[in-house]
Amino acid sequence: MRSDKVSLLLLLLPGLLWLFAFVVVPFSFAIVMSFWTSGMFGLKPDFQFGNYALILGNPLYATLILKTLRVALVATLLSLAISYPIAYFLAFASGRAKIVLTLLLFLPFWTSYVVRSFIWLPILGTNGAINRILLAIGIIDQPIGGMLYNEGAIYVGLVYVYTLFMTLPIYLAIEKIDPRLLEAAADLGARPLWVFLRIVLPLSWPGVISGCVMVFLLAMSSYVTPQMLGGPSGIMVSGMIAAQFQANNNWALGATLALVLSSITFAILIVAGRWVGLRQIFTAGRG
Amino acid sequence: MARSAHALSRTSRVALSVYAAALYVFLYGPIVMIGVLSFNSSRIIGFPIRGFTGEWYLKVFQSSQFLTALFNSIGVGIVAALVATTLALTLALAFRRDFPMKGVVFNLVLMPIVMPGIVGGIVLLMFFGYLNMGFSLWTSVAVAHVNWVLPFAFLTLYPRIHGFDVALEEAAMDLGASRFEVMRYVVFPIIRPAIVATALFSFSLSFDEFIRTLFVTGAQRTVPVMFWTLVMDELVPELPAMAVLIILISATVAMIGAVGAGRTRQTSSERS
Repeated sequence: MRSDKVSLLLLLLPGLLWLFAFVVVPFSFAIVMSFWTSGMFGLKPDFQFGNYALILGNPLYATLILKTLRVALVATLLSLAISYPIAYFLAFASGRAKIVLTLLLFLPFWTSYVVRSFIWLPILGTNGAINRILLAIGIIDQPIGGMLYNEGAIYVGLVYVYTLFMTLPIYLAIEKIDPRLLEAAADLGARPLWVFLRIVLPLSWPGVISGCVMVFLLAMSSYVTPQMLGGPSGIMVSGMIAAQFQANNNWALGATLALVLSSITFAILIVAGRWVGLRQIFTAGRG
Repeated sequence: MARSAHALSRTSRVALSVYAAALYVFLYGPIVMIGVLSFNSSRIIGFPIRGFTGEWYLKVFQSSQFLTALFNSIGVGIVAALVATTLALTLALAFRRDFPMKGVVFNLVLMPIVMPGIVGGIVLLMFFGYLNMGFSLWTSVAVAHVNWVLPFAFLTLYPRIHGFDVALEEAAMDLGASRFEVMRYVVFPIIRPAIVATALFSFSLSFDEFIRTLFVTGAQRTVPVMFWTLVMDELVPELPAMAVLIILISATVAMIGAVGAGRTRQTSSERS
């Protein structure tokens, strides 16, 4: 029994040491640093609440956080609207078509989201594909300039980059439904619409919640897509955090903003974790 | 088909098929378009098409910036896959048993993917920066990649190791094998496919990692960081060609990882 304990400890130790040194310590360090001050001459260890007071007191930050939450919410709802029908379609498809179509759905998401965000520049831009098509059809006679570098472009990019994280859990949830339930309902005279509303929709809820949490969190902390497609006015919380470590050089404020973003994330996960398991949320999207 | 008959009327099936077609156009249209633009001889990224050229691909292949970044990504990917898979393996073996605070440790393992990506990056930036450890491919970037990959490696390995029949181990022990021998000759051969699949999957995750790397990168850039820098600095005309190559490489890498993972899933379910 003693050797059991020793071997257990030996197995746990490498992973725990790594996580402690490179996850727990750096994160705790960020918490400590949020009480420091950043000045012209760099960081000064301190214990004051100035960074928190600034974020709470200056409406700029409240506006930015609210905007970020709004963008994430809209991107989530758009993804849900786009994903549910396709998840439903794939779950009820059969044979070779199902395998091929599912694989085709995954494929684009297996490549860098940096590249997949970039792709939209030559579509939405002044020289872009959409302008080209509209000009060719004759709907417009001048290229439209305003399709890029606004909130709409951010939504297009976020949905394009993250929608699989919505589709997959919903698909898996619908897939799991016992076909005999549907047969029984049909045998008892339920019309397809009724079967959908009373059986498929309620039983797919866990998938919907997983997907919404995933996409909301990813969109809320997204940096690449808003920076690339949103232009200067597209800045979200992540962009503001990044700025503190680049041009603004205010690490203490950056650490505080990062903690605010993390706290919102953890709060959402704790609330969502009551409905669906955390592990379920994180394994549905990958692997 | 029988399954769908109850949940779909004929009209809604047609409507859904049309919708599915539109969605696949939305997914693949942009990729096809970037492929077309990568051969456009115009110096401006976009339309109109001025003519056909392979010049941009030639330029990418000759660019030391691209090739160096590719080597950097492959190198750090291998290191991250090896370290993360090893750590995930030991953790997964430990998780077969009960121990105090198991739930806390599990949440700790998940922490790097629960944390917003940018936070994972800047937290390491402050850590390495304040301690003056410097930023380089083999220090800060490798650490960021292992952090990112480890939870996925654990989540991939754990269910496969968990399903492993403990009776086999006990039998070997009863026959006089030492703990090490049981590991080496019984456990390891059986879980080897799962380990290989996890390593491949880890490599593909590392290859596409961007946000954490961006903040802790030194002079040596990985492929996504190099691509980002080019897009944000100046839109050079070879970007579409580079985008096509990156898509091809990482889709191939990811597919190998996914096929490997799928195969072990199949064999382990046959076994159980």
